Amino acid sequence: MKAVKLTLAGIMLAAAAFAAAEEAVLKVSAIPDEAPTELQRKFAPLGQYLEKELGMKVQFVPVTDYAAVVTALDSDKIDMAWLGGFTFVQASQHGKVVPLVQREEDSKFTAKFIASTASGAKTLKDLKGKSFAFGSASSTSGHLMPRYFMQKDGIKPETFFKNVAYSGAHDATVAWVASGKVDAGVLNASVWDKLVESGKVDMSKVKLLSTSPTFYDYNWTVRGSMDKKLQQKITAAFLKLDAKNPEQKAILDLQRASKFIPTKADNYKGIEAAAEAAGLLK
Amino acid sequence: MLMRDPARWTRLAGWLLVIALMAPTFPLTGFNPAALTQPDNLRTIGAFVAGFLPPALAPDFLGEVARETLTTLASATAGIALALLLGAPLAFLTSRALDRHALSGDRPSRLLQAAQTTLRGLMVLLRGIPEIVWALLFVRATGLGSLPAVLAIGLAYGGMLAKVYAEILESQTAAPARALHLAGASRWQTLLYGLWPQALPELVSYSVYRWECAVRASAVMGFVGAGGIGQLLDTSLKMLNSGEVSTLLLVFLLLSALSDAISHLARRALANRAGQGWLAAGGVLAIMASVAWLWPGWRDSGFDPAALPRFFHDFFPPALSLPFLPELGHYALETLAMSGLGTALAFIGGALLALPAAGRFGLALTLPCRALLNLLRGVPDLLWASIAVLAVGLGPAAGVLALALHTSGVLGRLFAETLENAPSEPSRALELAGAGRLGVFCYGVLPCVLHQWIAYALYRWENNIRIATVLGIVGAGGLGQQLYLALSLFQQQKAAALILCMLLLTWAVEGLSRRLRPAA
Repeated sequence: MKAVKLTLAGIMLAAAAFAAAEEAVLKVSAIPDEAPTELQRKFAPLGQYLEKELGMKVQFVPVTDYAAVVTALDSDKIDMAWLGGFTFVQASQHGKVVPLVQREEDSKFTAKFIASTASGAKTLKDLKGKSFAFGSASSTSGHLMPRYFMQKDGIKPETFFKNVAYSGAHDATVAWVASGKVDAGVLNASVWDKLVESGKVDMSKVKLLSTSPTFYDYNWTVRGSMDKKLQQKITAAFLKLDAKNPEQKAILDLQRASKFIPTKADNYKGIEAAAEAAGLLK
Repeated sequence: MLMRDPARWTRLAGWLLVIALMAPTFPLTGFNPAALTQPDNLRTIGAFVAGFLPPALAPDFLGEVARETLTTLASATAGIALALLLGAPLAFLTSRALDRHALSGDRPSRLLQAAQTTLRGLMVLLRGIPEIVWALLFVRATGLGSLPAVLAIGLAYGGMLAKVYAEILESQTAAPARALHLAGASRWQTLLYGLWPQALPELVSYSVYRWECAVRASAVMGFVGAGGIGQLLDTSLKMLNSGEVSTLLLVFLLLSALSDAISHLARRALANRAGQGWLAAGGVLAIMASVAWLWPGWRDSGFDPAALPRFFHDFFPPALSLPFLPELGHYALETLAMSGLGTALAFIGGALLALPAAGRFGLALTLPCRALLNLLRGVPDLLWASIAVLAVGLGPAAGVLALALHTSGVLGRLFAETLENAPSEPSRALELAGAGRLGVFCYGVLPCVLHQWIAYALYRWENNIRIATVLGIVGAGGLGQQLYLALSLFQQQKAAALILCMLLLTWAVEGLSRRLRPAA
């Protein structure tokens, strides 16, 4: 009898420890808008900073598919995610999620249209009958907004271009255009600037055609069931990041942010309307 | 004196009809052989292939490749185990060989028949949806990782195993089963003592063959996010990192050869009792090891079975409304054209390679041609498609090229075998009568093999239509690309309509090919 009780107690203790251990981990993910290795590199110092500020373990869960991040957040498999404007709209349509902060840059985000120099195109209109790559179908700056702006200019990608393809990620779009796999493409302005600054774009092969009008993009969003206090702690930790502190500046630089600002769901009403208009919502 | 072919007009008309049928597939798929020689495309593919050497051998990368290779093998093995769990009971319940009325000649009961028809319908649905589409669905339903791959293989192959197991039981000698049944044996007893002993080798042999196919399927499931080396390959291909692609291709071919060898050994082991024991023990151990290897990933993914019904509920009703229907028709036609043209080109390619591979032009050509056929066949269609988009650009043209390349390998080997088995008397008679090489081939060899060749090609076409529906996942046009998009955008009802369309198209081609095959 005693042995049974002891075993039971042991199991309960283990279960309690397990539950406690689970509570103390913040599972974070991000839409894979760049190569997986790049995402991990970008997140590492931010993760360490959050661990220190929140006093809990922070675990990055790499995901290779935009829609999977939305589903994971909606089904509470992860606690926090770096979402694009469009994935945020999708996540809030399928479940309860709370947007916390965004980069200052995200309130006036843009997309860059690029073409291979070999295509000879000077403007978007010159690309008629050529092949064109969006990023991921679920991308805001790599698909939704460019499609919406083209639609406003009377361009229906499926008939205007010879072929429309989805590269899956912003850096892949640049690689595709540079290699000649497609004639032109569109991507996130921030990734474009980073690739150009770091000399990763062969400017003899790829050229910038135009920049889109501005829109709201990325944010950090948590699952709706998260404890309010923890939400506030996370928000405070992000807002505290200061570019004057060299250590924190490194974190901000990797995120390509000057600073983080609070955000709210209403900021993304415009994105929702654009998605509606482009027929990308149900 | 020039002898005229007496049947020349009918033959000519036959070929003209084939050409007339094939002509519209060129504009439909945008396939233009000249695209292969365009300087732009040549530069793209050239730069990509040039990067194959040296293969990526960084220790980190190799470690990851090793891990994912194990995951690929484990997913295939666990998937086959699930397929067995699903397929065996289904076969037991639906095989006509075990039916009371079939054994005793009584009238079948209505209820039993209705139940069996329902189960057979389920089996048709399970195997009708390509395994990579199942994987794509489960990736959306349960999250990324190896679990969707296992479930996909389990369901698709479960449906296939059920059908083939039932057929194997039906093809055995019925006398023992009938005798047992008349002596009052139950369905179980009839199976265990009447059919099992004679059917066992064939059942095991087919299961092992399916496992071999599962390894190849599991290796490409990463293209939709279901883990394994396919996932690494997808990333490397997207980033156009040729060094990594060539390493992964090598691993892939090795994996394919390994599973081939294991499957061969397993079938040899079946011949004696000790071997059977080893095989059973090995199988059980492999399944346990596979589940143990995959388990941590499944535990972390927090799979919630209760979410599945909700997920599949969203697919109803399928979006068969007006604005979408013409679009659906367009993609269906594109897919059909892709499969038809791909198979037709492969017929030509296969025939051209089969002649030297069968030793008709000396040993110096035989071996390289056989190696080429093995390479074409060993690299799966989805992989050829992702490389073909570099060679001829994105869209259905790449799908045509991919199907043509892979199927050339498959058909070439079959064609070569037919050539080797063809009787030599007609050729020798023509030779002795003074016919030239071309004449001997056209009138001595071709008539002996052509019917078989066409039957093989039609059979392959049934397979290729299934593949053409999914090539779009890597950018090669057709229904697959639309399905991938719809599921990325949570447009489940559109996805349901696309899957329905895939099924109808596959069944239509199967029906047509089945009618044409005996006539060929």
